[in-house]
Amino acid sequence: MTVDPNAATQSWPSPEPNHRRPHPARYLVPVLVAAAVAVALGVYGRVHQPTGTAFDLAGFSSTRAVKSWLASTAFFFALVQLVSALMMYGRLPGPRWAPAVHRWSGRIAFLVAVPVAVHCLYALGYQTYETRVLWHSILGCFFFGVFSAKMLLLRSERLPGWLLPIVGGLVFAVLTLVWLTSAFWFFRTFGVTT
Amino acid sequence: MKRPGPLLTLLAGLLLGLFMLTLNATTGTKTASSSYQEKSPSPAPTKTTASPSPSPSASPSPSQSPSKISDASYAGRTDDDSSSVAVSVRDGRAIAYFCDGHSKESWLKGRVNPDGSMRLTGGHGAVLNGTLQDNSRIRGAVDLDGGHYAFTARRAVKGSGLYRATATVRGAKVDGGWIVLADGRQVGIVDRDGKPSAAPRIDPETGAVTVDGQQLTASPVVP
Repeated sequence: MTVDPNAATQSWPSPEPNHRRPHPARYLVPVLVAAAVAVALGVYGRVHQPTGTAFDLAGFSSTRAVKSWLASTAFFFALVQLVSALMMYGRLPGPRWAPAVHRWSGRIAFLVAVPVAVHCLYALGYQTYETRVLWHSILGCFFFGVFSAKMLLLRSERLPGWLLPIVGGLVFAVLTLVWLTSAFWFFRTFGVTT
Repeated sequence: MKRPGPLLTLLAGLLLGLFMLTLNATTGTKTASSSYQEKSPSPAPTKTTASPSPSPSASPSPSQSPSKISDASYAGRTDDDSSSVAVSVRDGRAIAYFCDGHSKESWLKGRVNPDGSMRLTGGHGAVLNGTLQDNSRIRGAVDLDGGHYAFTARRAVKGSGLYRATATVRGAKVDGGWIVLADGRQVGIVDRDGKPSAAPRIDPETGAVTVDGQQLTASPVVP
């Protein structure tokens, strides 16, 4: 990986507290970083010669089973994300520690998804030979872009109230589609195996 | 004022990704040969053909009737005569090898459905879709590296079929695959540390082959 997705954040513009309206860079930087991350992943997956194999975990029959379970774990925590977010926005009754649940379930989901993505990009690459595979490739790259944008937006203050739920919902929706086109497909095709 | 948490999360993910990538780049090829040698649930290959009695294999799906699909190997050429394809079927599972004898090759594996259809997948996004017809031939196509190769593979007779040899020769990991056709023609590719090249001929009787001066034995491949 030659492109550092975090590089752009080093030139983060300093906030101007006397402005009432957020500086356009507030939106522009996350959007540009998101685009850079998604494109960089896609280009890497396309350019890098897929190896076909990579790390394997003991106790699983195949790497694809490992990935399917890791992805399902990520998807489970994504569901926790959805519920805890509804709690934070008062749409569901929830405990006071709902924000902490939201933060940590998100971190776990993201960190669990990273090895899956690394394996996809390293061993399989960006493929287009089938509709399912094409969408999985596109959305997989897109997911990490949107996720980066969401993380960067969290650092901004005085954003419009609807922005984070929209972006968060987008992250959740994309992850769901990525899961449906991979792990769900795998379990349906090959059975729920370990 | 500014929350560092989200940035740390991104950074942690990036570091984890780079770490896994390094791990893959250094040790990734290790599992290449072992991943095809999954243990078979059946203790012995069943030689029954269309036998009505249920096969003793512990198939995960009870609706499947593996007795309809007999254990056999199939080998043939692609329609454009550029490459060979061999499929080895056992206990409702299949492993296939696509090889042009020069540089293009792929190992694919997957399940054989009770109706004889199969969809095998391999590295680099390779896919084999095929149908076993009358337990005598497999008609299908391999999609590999953007190419579409229709093929017909006939049931292999003695000496023909799919062979593989893996070894370490002078520090290099050697992985060879051969397809021997019924008329004695054979194609093979030897990978030396992942670099493919045309393979020397094997003796179909014994599987003996000399790679880089070292005597190896290629064995028939079973899923």
